[in-house]
Amino acid sequence: MSHHLVITDLHVSVGDKEILKGLSLTVSSGEVHVVMGPNGSGKSTLAHALTGRPGYHVTSGSATLDGVELLHIAPWERVRAGLFLALQQPMEVPGVRPSDMLIAAGADPQRVANDIRREAQAVGLPDSILERFVNVDLSGGERKRAEIVQLGVLRPHVAILDEIDSGLDVDALGMVARRLQEATTEWDLGVLAITHFRRLLQELTPDVIHVMSDGRIVTSGGPELVEVLERDGYEPFRQK
Amino acid sequence: MTTFLEATTDFVTLSPDDSRRELWRAFETVGLPTTSDEVWRYAPLSSFSLEPYRVNSEPTSRDIPVELRPAVAVAGMVIRTHNGQLTDVTGALTGVSVTSTAAGESRGGQSFAARYHDDAFALMSGALAPHTLDIDVTNQVDVDRPIVIIHDVVSSSTFLNLRVSVGGGSRVNIMEFYVGGADALVVPLSEFFVAANGELRISTFQRLANSAWHVARTTSFLERDARVHQAIVGLGARYNRARNDAEFLGAGASNVLHTTFLGSGDQVHDFRTHQNHRVGRTNSTLLSKGAVAERSRSVYTGLIEIENGARRTDARQTNVNLLLSPDAHADTVPNLDIRENDVVCAHASSVGPLDELQIWYLESRGVPPEDAQRLLVQGFFNEMTVSLPQAVADLVASDVRDVIAKVGV
Repeated sequence: MSHHLVITDLHVSVGDKEILKGLSLTVSSGEVHVVMGPNGSGKSTLAHALTGRPGYHVTSGSATLDGVELLHIAPWERVRAGLFLALQQPMEVPGVRPSDMLIAAGADPQRVANDIRREAQAVGLPDSILERFVNVDLSGGERKRAEIVQLGVLRPHVAILDEIDSGLDVDALGMVARRLQEATTEWDLGVLAITHFRRLLQELTPDVIHVMSDGRIVTSGGPELVEVLERDGYEPFRQK
Repeated sequence: MTTFLEATTDFVTLSPDDSRRELWRAFETVGLPTTSDEVWRYAPLSSFSLEPYRVNSEPTSRDIPVELRPAVAVAGMVIRTHNGQLTDVTGALTGVSVTSTAAGESRGGQSFAARYHDDAFALMSGALAPHTLDIDVTNQVDVDRPIVIIHDVVSSSTFLNLRVSVGGGSRVNIMEFYVGGADALVVPLSEFFVAANGELRISTFQRLANSAWHVARTTSFLERDARVHQAIVGLGARYNRARNDAEFLGAGASNVLHTTFLGSGDQVHDFRTHQNHRVGRTNSTLLSKGAVAERSRSVYTGLIEIENGARRTDARQTNVNLLLSPDAHADTVPNLDIRENDVVCAHASSVGPLDELQIWYLESRGVPPEDAQRLLVQGFFNEMTVSLPQAVADLVASDVRDVIAKVGV
């Protein structure tokens, strides 16, 4: 079955300030969409608003996953519907082990330990991650990889990756990108990756590149758009 | 009908033991505290009276609670007391002896009456305990299996004296449990003497009935390079007071003290600590962490005292309180009394509800909010139980789960 995340004319405010000003895009199973844009253009706001982070207020618009309106259901129900967010700055949760968290999130208690081990190995984390509390005493790069471990265990339909590449060394970045690329065929994961850097895209092949500016998508195109951005920067797109 | 005070006075008067009479006179002089005494300010003393309690130090044997079997299974020695009286010792450990000796005598260089002159409950415990339970570990022994002590409270009032002496270079691990205690007054008084380079690890889990009054006091005496790792967990009792002191007598001594509690209903958990660094190059690390739910409240008052000349002392105390209901309340009063410049000393405390962003983070993984809160509260306690022996940690975790389910966090 093919899954579709459809975002239509999304407006989001933080405090009194409108950050997203009518954003629309669609991500389907197996596709890799990449959102790029200058600082402050609203990329992370998109990720947080879709997953219901406190303080991010959707003022209008729609976001559906397979026809289910995500904006009308609780954050945890959005995940159960098939949407997963890998955070830019994953939080420490002292005292809570990854396996307990993932079981509470719906993972199979019989399989969760093996699944964590398998996914940890895929991104170069040691088995000892099982024994640690969630993200406690992990480096920034290890936390990013731990987010991908969770993704691999929960197997969402669509994953939003908020700057998953920042803080990763070259080897770790390669492992994360390869794991995500595999997931797009293994269970037809749809990916919406927010990034500043093309190096993630060396092993995670994008289908569509979106350029964001001032709370909107101002241009979408194929992988060749990355070359244009590398050459010309975001300035030409700001003027659109 | 004989009142509590009439019965206890008779008991003390008829005793052949002079130290009991000295302690009882001291108790009568001090009298029960009131909330106008600063150190008892938060205790529900207005509803407290000795008269409902009966005096009965007769042992009443009953089976070990099934929940304690995992601890018993790993123990090399199991010591049982009933109503403060030593009733049973099973197993034997090389270098460890268990005896009962006359109550009310301190090995700390002072009589009980002098040492506890202003503490009415400690004086009462010394005067009325059937005897002192003495656990002695000789020098240079590494006791390879833990000692389990089960204090079963069946009677209306229980006064209990425990003394642990660890010889030079020896190591021992003790798990101590308080059980029973419905409507009872339970007043344990414990002293731990650790000789040079000795190590005592002691975990005390107070899981008395929620109708009990529990007023406990422990003091560790640490000689040169001695180590005491003490964990106190209090889940039971209507009023749960635990005062845990450490006296550093020799350089290189170190004390780690973890106290934790989970309050529910109308419980009051009242933790007091006093780390007295009398000599230099000594270390104390104190972490007090607990949660209060429903209408319960907690008090933490900790004093780090560093005496003049106790150079290169390193003393730290941290107190973290989690509020699980708008009607729950926590007070935290860290105190420092430093009379030496060349020291490292730190204290930190916090009081607050669960972190909203941590709840969201778990929700953003697909965890329903009520499960997220449950995980975070259990996690709050997991941070404390990781340093406990497994048999104690598992039981604490299980009891915490039960309380959380009951109060609906």
